[in-house]
This record gives sequence, C-alpha cells and structure tokens, in this order.
Amino acid sequence: MFTQQLINGITVGGIYALIALGYTMVYGILKIVNFAHGDVFMVGSFLGLLFVQNAGMPIYIAYPAAMLVTAAVGVVIERVCYRPIRIKGTDALSILIAALGVSIFLENFAQLVWGTGTHAYVQEIKEKNYEFGNINLSNIQIGVIVLCVLLMAALYFVVNKTKIGVAMRATSQSITSAQLMGINTEMVIAATFGVGSALACVAGVLVGTYYDAVYPLVGYSYGLKAFAAAILGGIGSIPGAMLGGFLIGIVETLGSAYISAGYKDAFAFGILILVLIIRPSGLLGKKHVDKV
Amino acid sequence: MKSLKKILAAALTMALAVSAVGCGAPGGSGGSGGSGDTLKIGLATPLTGASAEDGKAIQEGVNLAVKQINDQGGIDGKTVEVVAEDDKGDPSEAATVANKLAQDESILALVGDFNSSCTLAGAPIYNDAGIVQISPGSSAEAVTDAGDFTFRTITTDAVQGKYLAKWCVDELGYKNIAILFENDDYGKGLADVAQRETEGLGAKVVVREAYEVNQTDFSTVLTKVAKAKPDVLIIGGLYNETALIAKQRSKAGIGELPIMGVDAIYSDALIDLGGKAVEGIKLTSYFSDSSESKVTQDFIKAYTDEYGKAPGTYAAYAYDAALIIMDGIKNAGADRAAIRDYIAGLQDFEGATGTASFDKNGDVIKEPLRMEIKDGKFTVVDK
Repeated sequence: MFTQQLINGITVGGIYALIALGYTMVYGILKIVNFAHGDVFMVGSFLGLLFVQNAGMPIYIAYPAAMLVTAAVGVVIERVCYRPIRIKGTDALSILIAALGVSIFLENFAQLVWGTGTHAYVQEIKEKNYEFGNINLSNIQIGVIVLCVLLMAALYFVVNKTKIGVAMRATSQSITSAQLMGINTEMVIAATFGVGSALACVAGVLVGTYYDAVYPLVGYSYGLKAFAAAILGGIGSIPGAMLGGFLIGIVETLGSAYISAGYKDAFAFGILILVLIIRPSGLLGKKHVDKV
Repeated sequence: MKSLKKILAAALTMALAVSAVGCGAPGGSGGSGGSGDTLKIGLATPLTGASAEDGKAIQEGVNLAVKQINDQGGIDGKTVEVVAEDDKGDPSEAATVANKLAQDESILALVGDFNSSCTLAGAPIYNDAGIVQISPGSSAEAVTDAGDFTFRTITTDAVQGKYLAKWCVDELGYKNIAILFENDDYGKGLADVAQRETEGLGAKVVVREAYEVNQTDFSTVLTKVAKAKPDVLIIGGLYNETALIAKQRSKAGIGELPIMGVDAIYSDALIDLGGKAVEGIKLTSYFSDSSESKVTQDFIKAYTDEYGKAPGTYAAYAYDAALIIMDGIKNAGADRAAIRDYIAGLQDFEGATGTASFDKNGDVIKEPLRMEIKDGKFTVVDK
C-alpha cells in the first residue's frame, strides 16, 4: 500500500506545485500574495470544460485555448485591480484586500454562470488502468505526474536561461534598478501573472480530468494548500514551490493513509507550522535564492 | 375629572367584553370575527434565506394538501386556511414566529419548522401553548425529546441507518463493511449508527474513514478501502461526494465494490454527476416517484398539475404533515389538545412518504423504500 499511497501523494502534490508556482512568482516580483490565484485555477478548470463541452473543440485546441484565456484573466486582474493600487504606492495590505475582493468576485461570478453545483468533467482521454503487482496506475495519473514535471522543468529553463528570465530575475531583485537598466518591468509583471495563471489553468484541467469534478469553490481548498506549499518551500523561490507542493501532497496522503483521513488538512498545515518553526524563511527561502 | 373616569370605565368595560368574546371564540362552534367558516392551520418555514428553496417546497406541499381538502368541501363544511410565517431558517426568528402562531388562538395546529435548530427553538413555545407542531424536515436526534406536542413526518437518521444495516447484512449477506463518511455531525452520526448496527448483526467493519465535504480527491481513502478488502461500502454523506467516490473507486482497483447509502444521496445530481459509475448503488428513501403507492402517485400527479414541476422529498413530507393535521381536526374537532391526543395515537396513516405511525416521543415510525440506480434512474427494488 505504501507505494500506491506515495504515487497518490505525488499526483496531488504535482498539482499543488503547479498552483504554488503562481503564488511564488508573483510574490518574488511584487512582494504581494495574490489570494485570487486559487480562483484563477478554478476559472481555468471551467474554461477547459467550456471549450470542450460547449464549444465542441478537440482537447488539443481547447486546453491551450483555455490556458491563453486564463493567462489573459490573470493579466487583466493585475492591470485592473492591482496596478492602480501599486502605482499609488500604497502598502501591500491594500493589494492583499484587493486580491481577496477579486477572489470573492470570481467565486460568485462562477456561481452565477455555472451554478453552485458540481460538474462532471470531460472524459476525452480514455482512462486505462495498469496493474504492477499491488499497484494500480492509470494513464491519466502518469500523464499528470509527467506533465507537472515537464512544465516545472520548462519554467526553470525559462527563468534561468532566457532573456525574459533574466529580466524577471532582475525585476525581482529591484524594480527601480531594472527600469534603469532599460527593462520594461510592467511587461515583465504582466508576463509573470500570465505564466502563473496559465500554469494554474493546467492544474485546473488536470484536477478536472483526473478527479472528474469541478465546482465554483474548488479553488478555495486547492489555493490554500498551494499557498501553504509556496510558504513551506520558501515563498519567492521557484524550486521551493515545487518541493513544497510535492511535500504537502505526500505528507497529507501518507498521514491520511497511516493515521486517519479525518486529519488530512491537519497534516498538510501541521508540516507547514513545523517547518516554519525550524526555518522561518521556508525550506529553500535563502537570502540569495534565484527569485523570479 | 369625572368625565375622564366615565370614559375610562366605558373603555374598560368594552375591553372586557371584547376579550370575553375572544376567549369564547375557539371553543364555540360558531366562532367570531369573520373566521366562522374557516379553520386555520399554521405554517412556519424558511421562505427567505439559505433554506428558502426547501422552505418553498414545503409551503407548496402544505398548500396542495389544503386545496385538495377544500375542493372536497373542506372539513365539516368549513374551509381550511393556511397562515404562513417565515422563520428564515434562523432559530431566533423561529421563536418570534412561534410566539405569533401560538398566541393566535384560532390556529389549531401547525406544520414546522424545517431546520432542526428552528424546530428546537420553537418547540418550548408551542409545547407551553399546547399546540401541535409537525416538522417536515428536522431529522436531528434532539427533536425526539422536544416535547409532547412536537411531532415529525421525517424519521431520525438512526432509523434509516438501522434499516440499511439490516438490509445490508441480513439480506444481502455482506460481512465485511467499509464506511466512508463526511467529517461533520451528520456524517459521523450516520457512520456510528451503521457501525453499531452492522456489528450487532455479526458483520465486521474493516475500515472506517472520514472525508471533507467538497473534497475532490478520494484516492487516498479509496486505496485504504481497497486494502481492507470489504464486501460493501456504506457512505454516510451527500450525493456530490458519493458520485465522486463511485467514479474514483475504479482507480483503486475496486470498480465492482457495491455502494450503499441513505436518502441524503437521493438526488438527480448523483446520477448527472456520477453517470455510469453510480449504476447499482443501493439506498433507502421514503419518497420516490417510482413508488407503487397510490397515495404517492396521486400526490405526484396533483403536485405536477398544480406547480408544473415534480415534487421533491420535503414537499412530500410537508404534504403528509398537513394531511395528518387536517385528519386530526376532522376526527378530534377544532381543539388543540384533542388534536394532539388524536395524532399521538395515530396508526398506519397512508401518506405520500409511506405509512406512518408515531411513537411516544412524537417520532414517526415508517418503513423506508429500498432503491437502486438502474439505467440512470432511481428504481424501487425488493432486495
């Protein structure tokens, strides 16, 4: 059972990690916590469903389209709700409140459009189960894990090896200095929100496909776990968010498996508290970590 | 000064006269104040607030029952009238409504409240005033001890749990039981009953795990269930999670494991969301549109004709509650205490939600229906 549960933990952990990246990238650059990110994840999931079910697109067009639209949603949220406050130079608390407002708006908007109930998700990909001894592994589960790892590797490459990556890292060190060096920081900020939201959309589609359900408040619990993952790994650190996501997924799964499933959330947030007591800046939250 | 005293005396005399008439009204056959030809029954239900949808269904159920009686000429030639009050699903509001209804002597009995907390808030007031309340929706254990004048047409969760256990162990022969329940008072209560009753019948609970309401990932608990190798899975929770559990069980290699539940999963949403995976789920329930009972079928037809939509469970419970009250008025007369005594002794009353009797605590005793999902429909089955 251990291997099986470990795989379950890695699957959900990969999803937490994808969402956590959005939190950590935005924090790295702007030092704000975008509490609407969990709901962007929900919107992404619904858009994937909408494009396939209502617009009848094949999934290889629908899902990239959903990613693009979700990215646009992220950029618009930043431009309309955060930038005016940011430019006025008000403290981070005002932006935090604005983020909570956006979160409430998105949740209620989704309830108006899609209703309050739970929807079944598109099952375009036929699920196949493979048995290896005592272990059950499905093609979707393998896909979730592989996709999470690939996307994280791609992001790591972009941030560390490309020009926009250099611009992102420069902006995260100091917005003013980056501007003086001729970097269009507003573009970098928009790109950060866009990439983070697109990753959240992937996570949303994966949750929909793998667990076969989406509802307007799904972003709350996933968003909270992913936020905890970002903090656990050291907020602002990209490898930290990945590590944190997998760690929270594995710990809550193994805790549920061997102690009691009723305390699932307690395990996830318990490990967070434990790590913060020992390392207040998170696991990889060093002073000179490569922030986005 | 003298004239003032005279006026005061006259006013007092008038007041006395009026109150004397007021006292005489409910006892006397003629009554007064224009209500001579009507009999009033109360309704306390949430018409606004979070439970408004269920509250409205209850109002429709009651109105339908009253309309049917009136169309047949009323009770002893008198028309029945419903006095509806909105308790907003809020216990403090329910107490205000209770005072209002209890103090109106012309109201003979009432249907209400819906939420258990509201029923419990109104119960002391109704019991002090000596007026019968019949709740169409409060299944909490505590309502049992609410008083001699508090009845309900819905059974406690324990009754269904007990019945389910008997069906599962004695008749279907399952010996190794898995229980999954939602992590709150409702789910835990149901899980406790299911465990106690199945073990009492000689079965063994091999795994028992909680999940959160609104959870989407059931892989962990289902892997645990699979490892314990149960014969059946009993779910103490609602339809959304049940549908997801049914769908995700194949991932854990237990796609064929039978699932059983209670009427909390009786919703079309279970089938919409669960699709093929929920086929064969067995559950207990009191109200079903596929019931063979004539009373139930007549009710469904009348309700659909009247409101242009199919009735839900609570409309049916409310319909039964109103029928029982009017049956009481008919047989015991327009007297609050006599109605209470009549209802307390009621045996085998045929309603839309089955054949009802009341125990000494005012809890309804009735046999649930057995249902199974077949070809995407809830179907009544024998076994």
